[in-house]
Amino acid sequence: MAQTTLQPPPEARPARSLPLRAGRPRRRRRRNWFAYGLIAPALAFMVLVHLIPTAGGVVLSFKRLNTFTFARLFDAPWAGLENYRGILFDTANPLHSGFFGAVQNTAVYTFWTVGGTLAGGLAIALLLNRPMRGQRLVRTLMLAPWIVPSFVVAVLWQFMWQSDVGIINKVLVDYTHLLSERPIWLLGENSMWAIVIPSIWRGLPFAMIFFLAGLQAMPPELHEAAAIDGAGPLRRFRYITLPLLRPLIAVQLLFCVIYATYQFAIPYIMLGSNPGPDADLMMTLIVRQSFSNNLFGFGAAASVLLTLAMCVWVAVWYRAFKRDLEVK
Amino acid sequence: MPKRLAIVTSAIALVLAPAAFVACGGDDSSDSAAKPSGASNAAQGETLEKGVTLTLWTMPNSPQPKEDLQKMVAPFTAKTGVNVDVQEVGWDVQFDRIRNAAVAGEGPDITQAGTTQVPFFAALGGFQDLTDKVEEIGGKGAYAEGIWNTTQVQGQDGTWAIPWFTEARSLYYRKDVLEKAGVDPATAFKDLDSFKATLQAIKDKVPDVQPFGAPGKKAYDLVHQVMPFVWDQGGAELNADATQSTINSPESQAGVEFMAGLITDGLFDKSQLERDGTQVENQFKGGRLAVWIGGPWVLGSIDRAEDDTWSDEARENVGVAPMPTGPSGKAYTFVGGSDLMVFKNSEHPNEAWALVKFLSEDQTQVDYAKLLGMFPARLDPQQQVGDSSENHKAFFEAIQTGRTYAPIPQWGQIENAYKTRFGNILDSAAGVGKDYNAATVKSQLDAAAKEADGLLAQSAG
Repeated sequence: MAQTTLQPPPEARPARSLPLRAGRPRRRRRRNWFAYGLIAPALAFMVLVHLIPTAGGVVLSFKRLNTFTFARLFDAPWAGLENYRGILFDTANPLHSGFFGAVQNTAVYTFWTVGGTLAGGLAIALLLNRPMRGQRLVRTLMLAPWIVPSFVVAVLWQFMWQSDVGIINKVLVDYTHLLSERPIWLLGENSMWAIVIPSIWRGLPFAMIFFLAGLQAMPPELHEAAAIDGAGPLRRFRYITLPLLRPLIAVQLLFCVIYATYQFAIPYIMLGSNPGPDADLMMTLIVRQSFSNNLFGFGAAASVLLTLAMCVWVAVWYRAFKRDLEVK
Repeated sequence: MPKRLAIVTSAIALVLAPAAFVACGGDDSSDSAAKPSGASNAAQGETLEKGVTLTLWTMPNSPQPKEDLQKMVAPFTAKTGVNVDVQEVGWDVQFDRIRNAAVAGEGPDITQAGTTQVPFFAALGGFQDLTDKVEEIGGKGAYAEGIWNTTQVQGQDGTWAIPWFTEARSLYYRKDVLEKAGVDPATAFKDLDSFKATLQAIKDKVPDVQPFGAPGKKAYDLVHQVMPFVWDQGGAELNADATQSTINSPESQAGVEFMAGLITDGLFDKSQLERDGTQVENQFKGGRLAVWIGGPWVLGSIDRAEDDTWSDEARENVGVAPMPTGPSGKAYTFVGGSDLMVFKNSEHPNEAWALVKFLSEDQTQVDYAKLLGMFPARLDPQQQVGDSSENHKAFFEAIQTGRTYAPIPQWGQIENAYKTRFGNILDSAAGVGKDYNAATVKSQLDAAAKEADGLLAQSAG
């Protein structure tokens, strides 16, 4: 199925497969040129701002760029695979341990952020899908975190997490006495949760609205029929709702994982340019080593590796969900 | 079916983003690296060309950075006919902006730069060597030694900057808290032992205020906070010829352990480690900390009624003491501030130098430093400000004996590496990192030294 899907539409097939009738190919070509003309500006733009810089980034990953050479950029000495070897295999290189620490943190961050966002978004969508008074108002209010810029989200949560005066510890310790001692959220192992939770909070509304649209498009007869046959709410969710939402979950999963893996603003603003060994993500590491430490070669190589990892993820995702994306 | 293709295409586009991004970041330097810096051969006449406009980049030094400085240079324009366009560049972006301007050859005529940044910027090759001109403003002898060092690059000839204003770190304390704790301010911070004993007395007798606090790894100046204790113990950041890190020597370790020990002894409010430098400064001003290490600008803000970060109690009871002396009997502190650098491609080098000279005049130095709450960079005006009050005197003395880091281009990176490790050590001591013990400290400092050695080994080849 997949092969046929990705084949070009019949109009674009090479002319030789067409019957040799006079006049037709020329007209077709002319029509094609018109189509190419229409996409040309977009294509040129993509090449200029996307493909050329990407190719530049790949070239830089093979260069020895440091404090003394970065100004020469593409004229900097060629380093071959040195950057990649240093990152991946050279245990004596401090960048090696920093890289693997960030890989691990990014995986943990992505897992919890995506899991929390999708599960939470689905749960809220299910709740909002029930007929109730003030549904529209609640739905609108639920969207609020989505329109708050990441920068503001991070600044707000940074104040809320502060161990001595932040509202979170006030609630947990002073008001509800759930904890006896004030945890320090923005340092050490807790700092991972300090960035995961605001990220989920920010992502929830989009997931919620996405799932809600899916739920509302679902024919109610299915649930009614199942209910008549004696299926309880859990079974109906498991065998009707979830399978029908699969395409939506698939698309959300794809984009949420990529978005979370490339997260920068929230950890950077909340925890500074170096979030520490427990919360340093790939992007904070790459930005810090490239722009603060002038190690653009390392940064480019780490970016290329990250990009490859995401290509693998897209491939895995595609294999897992390709059936769900077909229009039936 | 095209739907599937569209999703996959957009996913791929998103996936490729970071690789493209690193390339973009360097781009502005790439195009322009090849451009000739032809402007350096501008007319070398002695007289100044009236009507030209110099561009001066300044950082947010005072409450209204642009307006304050524009007012400060008005007499220069009146006298010479040379206009000055003051442009404000935020501290968060100044490193990138100055670096890009130096590499691209497209920048202002003059820029302010942090003292520890000068060697890095100088190594980019975009700035004028001012060696031949410095005698006109009194040369090396007009400045304290530590300050003058910030204009040099170790192992190279040349003077790449002119010191503009200066700061050093001293101990701020609350006079009323010391009184309640029954400690005599004259001896309270004499040496490391009495410093610790004072904090302990505050902890025991004044429970509503935290004895001491300093920022953690979020602060840009964490290293400036820790290094004085390292120097006290005889440690150093690098060896004398700046070829190897010595941050993992037993002496350096003892210094870091002194600072971390304040946390394990419960004298250092560990929640401050979550904050950056300004936030901790506001904690002292708000009356929540009894003792804190800070620069002279805080002294300048006491009389500023509109600064509402001060609590009344704190505002009325500020005392300043020099940093405590270490086992060697000598007290160390960090001395920093800002220098002025002239771009090589300035089209008006004579006028630019004239402006630097004007900003180095004694009266301009005193006036501007006063506005900033900083100290003038030059010795004579510095003395004037130092004589103005007891608290200012403590800072004046700190500046004279203050120490700075080796002036090498890689220092900024090494400082970042140290900052990370110092932050990890302090986090451990606060109970939120690896278990705190001598072995943890040692392994962190070994890692810092290894990283620094790698950075020192960087070369142009």
